[in-house]
Amino acid sequence: MIQCVDLHLKLASSGGEVNILRGVDLLVPAGEALAVTGPSGSGKSSMMMLIAGLERPTGGSVLVAGVALGELSEDQRARFRRLNIGIIFQSFQLIPTMTALENVAIPLELARKPGAMAAARDILGRVGLAERVHHYPSQLSGGEQQRVAVARAFVARPRLLLADEPTGNLDQASGQAVIDLLFGLQREFGSTLLLITHDPVLAARCQRTLYLRDGRLDLEPGS
Amino acid sequence: MSGLLLRLAFRDLRGGLSGLGWVVACLALGVAIIAAAGSLDAGLRQTLREDGQALLGGDLQLRLTYRPPTATEMAFFRGFGTVSQAVEMRAMARRLDGSAQTLVEIKAIEGPYPLYGQLLLDPQQEIAVALQKTADGWGIAVDSNLLERLGLAIGDRLSIGDASLIIRATIRAEPDRLATPMSFGPRLLMDSQALPETGLVRQGSLIRYSVLLRLAVGQTVAAFRQAVAGQFADQAWQIRDSSEVAPGLTRFLNQITLFLTMVGLTALLVGGIGVANGAGAFLESRQSTVAILKCLGASNRQILGMQALEVAVLAILGIALGLMAGALVPYVLLDAIENQLPMAARRGIFWQPLALAGAFGGLIALAFAAGPLGRAAGRPAAGLLREASIGREKNSWSVLTVILLAGLALAGLAVIGAADRRAAAQVIAFGSSALAAFAGAGTACQWLAGWASRRFSGLALPWRLALSSLHRPGSPTGRVVLSLGLGLTVLTAVLLVEANLTEEVSQHLPAQAPTFFFLDIQDGETDVFDQTVAKEGGLAVKRAAMIRGRITQIDGQPVESRRVAADAQWAVQGDRGVSMAAVQPQNTKLVAGSWWPADYQGPPLLSLDAGIARGFGLAVGQTLSLNILGRELTARIANLREVDWASLAMNFTIILSPNALAGAPLSWIATVHAPLDRETTLERAVVTALPHVSSIRVKEALDIVRQVIAGAGLVIQAAALVTLAVGGLVLAGAIAAGQRRRIRETVLLKVLGASFADLIAAVALEYALLGLFTGLLAALMGGFAGWAVLVFILKLEARLLPGPILGVVLAGGLVVTLVGLAGTSKALQAGASGVLRHPT
Repeated sequence: MIQCVDLHLKLASSGGEVNILRGVDLLVPAGEALAVTGPSGSGKSSMMMLIAGLERPTGGSVLVAGVALGELSEDQRARFRRLNIGIIFQSFQLIPTMTALENVAIPLELARKPGAMAAARDILGRVGLAERVHHYPSQLSGGEQQRVAVARAFVARPRLLLADEPTGNLDQASGQAVIDLLFGLQREFGSTLLLITHDPVLAARCQRTLYLRDGRLDLEPGS
Repeated sequence: MSGLLLRLAFRDLRGGLSGLGWVVACLALGVAIIAAAGSLDAGLRQTLREDGQALLGGDLQLRLTYRPPTATEMAFFRGFGTVSQAVEMRAMARRLDGSAQTLVEIKAIEGPYPLYGQLLLDPQQEIAVALQKTADGWGIAVDSNLLERLGLAIGDRLSIGDASLIIRATIRAEPDRLATPMSFGPRLLMDSQALPETGLVRQGSLIRYSVLLRLAVGQTVAAFRQAVAGQFADQAWQIRDSSEVAPGLTRFLNQITLFLTMVGLTALLVGGIGVANGAGAFLESRQSTVAILKCLGASNRQILGMQALEVAVLAILGIALGLMAGALVPYVLLDAIENQLPMAARRGIFWQPLALAGAFGGLIALAFAAGPLGRAAGRPAAGLLREASIGREKNSWSVLTVILLAGLALAGLAVIGAADRRAAAQVIAFGSSALAAFAGAGTACQWLAGWASRRFSGLALPWRLALSSLHRPGSPTGRVVLSLGLGLTVLTAVLLVEANLTEEVSQHLPAQAPTFFFLDIQDGETDVFDQTVAKEGGLAVKRAAMIRGRITQIDGQPVESRRVAADAQWAVQGDRGVSMAAVQPQNTKLVAGSWWPADYQGPPLLSLDAGIARGFGLAVGQTLSLNILGRELTARIANLREVDWASLAMNFTIILSPNALAGAPLSWIATVHAPLDRETTLERAVVTALPHVSSIRVKEALDIVRQVIAGAGLVIQAAALVTLAVGGLVLAGAIAAGQRRRIRETVLLKVLGASFADLIAAVALEYALLGLFTGLLAALMGGFAGWAVLVFILKLEARLLPGPILGVVLAGGLVVTLVGLAGTSKALQAGASGVLRHPT
């Protein structure tokens, strides 16, 4: 599902160019749940953005479901993302002016799929928010917002799910509930999961853990 | 696609307008001015069109100077419809005891009158009854202000020339008053049979004979004109139909509307900056939403479409509000000023000027919103998620093309829609240059602040904070200088021109202008006139012989087919005063050719005003043909003169060699300067000694001019102030957009130990420097613009009047400081804990 070959990412800053990723090689088979850990600033989120097609690599290649994302234009990558990739952020990233229902339906609406609202309602029910579909994010708790984000990420039954510290802003109980939902839906839909996390307990739920330090991937921390 | 974009746009707007409110306000104000100017103009022109017959006095008006129509001519005219005649001239009306006199505009009527419209008298009666001859004599109807001037009432008598006439009514409404050019005194209506008793009809007297014609059914204006041209080809009839009622008023309307529209466009241009600011602030507030949508698969096109829809909806709202206000303003304005207008203007909704104003608003919105929209849509999602510093992105070529095309369309529409396209193009060229100059000035201001910040690093804290706010990245300095600067420039130019004109008319002209113009002095009366004036203390008396004539050919080409410059058109419309002189008049300057010998007897020679010669495309050696009393006279141009019309001294466009007018029934006009305490007695003495002579008090004429200038100046100042108001909106919008940053900075400074006094001093200094810089620049630009208008368009000497200029500089500094302080007061009072706990 994911194939990264000698992946490089350099970003410009006011202090000069910053080398974020220094040749990452990665192979993730379809259906696998992979955890990526590492210290702050190691490039975890940047790697996730490259795999999501939100950023273009400055060197190397990234293929998702056999599609070389680096060769696509921004709009082509956006269109690929709609139905193939779901993303869950640490800070939920719900659109504040849309209800839970509208937030979840967006990927299907953008892809002009019929029945977007019905599908959104259905998956919101599955994450336990059937009674909250018309609530705005500001009217939901943190845990509820992240459940909406999970529903949104899965509504199109994506082949790849990317989750960046999904429980980072939640208390333990809410976080546990969200993670159970996440893994449950991942197994049900057979999605490949790439989970970025600091939490070793969370990482242990994945089939494999990789460690990212100074822009390079290791199998173990400190190696 | 559009359904999805509409849904996305609607959902996004639930989050509030966040800056789009400024878009609405800026567009509404700018569109309102243009719509109001256009609607007012359309209403007045509709009146001229629809009431043209009543305003003219008929379907056609035929005018001759010096002689009445012959019986043959009248029989010819009667073959086309109903005919009415009028004799118009100026004369002096006096109290019988001679204690007061005033100039009046006599209209002696014969036949049915009026042919169109209604003449209203007070007390109401038929005009024939009011003017008829009874045992008491002939009756007259007069303007009510004549009664005030002479201290008379209805039923009293007054004398005109040799006749004593009874005032039987005042005139409440005269439908064709507008058709009388240049009236200096109140109207006096009399029966044409009463006129001979006044003794005013003498050879050489300046008398206009009008024939008014109401066409019979089936007759047309074109057919009549053709028939007259065929039958009376050699006659000097001046023919006007109802589409050309008042050429002078039409020209005045064209100029006022052009100016108001250009001021409105300037307001819209300034408003465009507000549109860019507002749209930019709105799009910045939606960055996170855009980032999320892109993560979820929205393409750049979908983002652009959604946000363009949002901006468009609010822009349309702003334009609609502006159009409504602009359509309603004439109703309110006309209620206030209708009594001062020469005719009743139409009220109504005029779609053409409203559509034009709407188009201007749309193009401005497109030109100024396209940039922020293009930049926002093109931002990569990763950058937005990373909250990387977003700034200095460039627009794509397609966006730049859209902006350029919108700008060109705007300029093109402004030129095409103007009555005077050349003037419109000049104003747009100046406006574009001013826009570019102020854009550069904004950058210069930032650079200057940065330089001062580095150069004077030892300044006190408030100064350093103020300077750094002015030149930091993202500072609104450039936009504020541009928007306020343009508004202040327009205001400066308007104030300077009006102040110069007012000073010219109130002080400079009266100081050098003669006290009186005396008209219709016959050849045998000149000695009596000179003696009377000398006896009453008259000074600097100048006399010139005069006759009226009409230019018929320019260098052998009929005037109708000759291309004449716009500013010389007046010379070929109607008849002109023509004089003769053996020697070059004093205080005249020849710019080409030479004067003829005093005893010259050769073929007719002519001296021509150099400005008119330029407008006609004539040079020394070429010819000009005139129709004088029905006879064609062709003279060769011997020289060109610079004529200073502004001096109000006696001047003539055309002066002929004396032999050209040998035997012609000339009359004399004279200018006289009189000591202030002798003015009334001198005038009375002349009018008593020569009752057929008319006098025009120059001061009264200047009063009329002053009123017109004041009226026009008020309207234009109001429009300029609205432009300034739009600039103020942009300033307020820029302040509001920077509020979050300002709050965060204020809190950090407080945490580090800055006092409230330091902070408020810094803000006051920041905006005071900005305002003074902008005001100074506007004073320079506006001063230059005002100078150019005075010297090149109005052909006046431009005086540097420090009052308006200083006023603008100080007002600029004060207004910006006050608005800035008011706008940042919330930030200065922000509590630290709230901001520090929730930094985003």
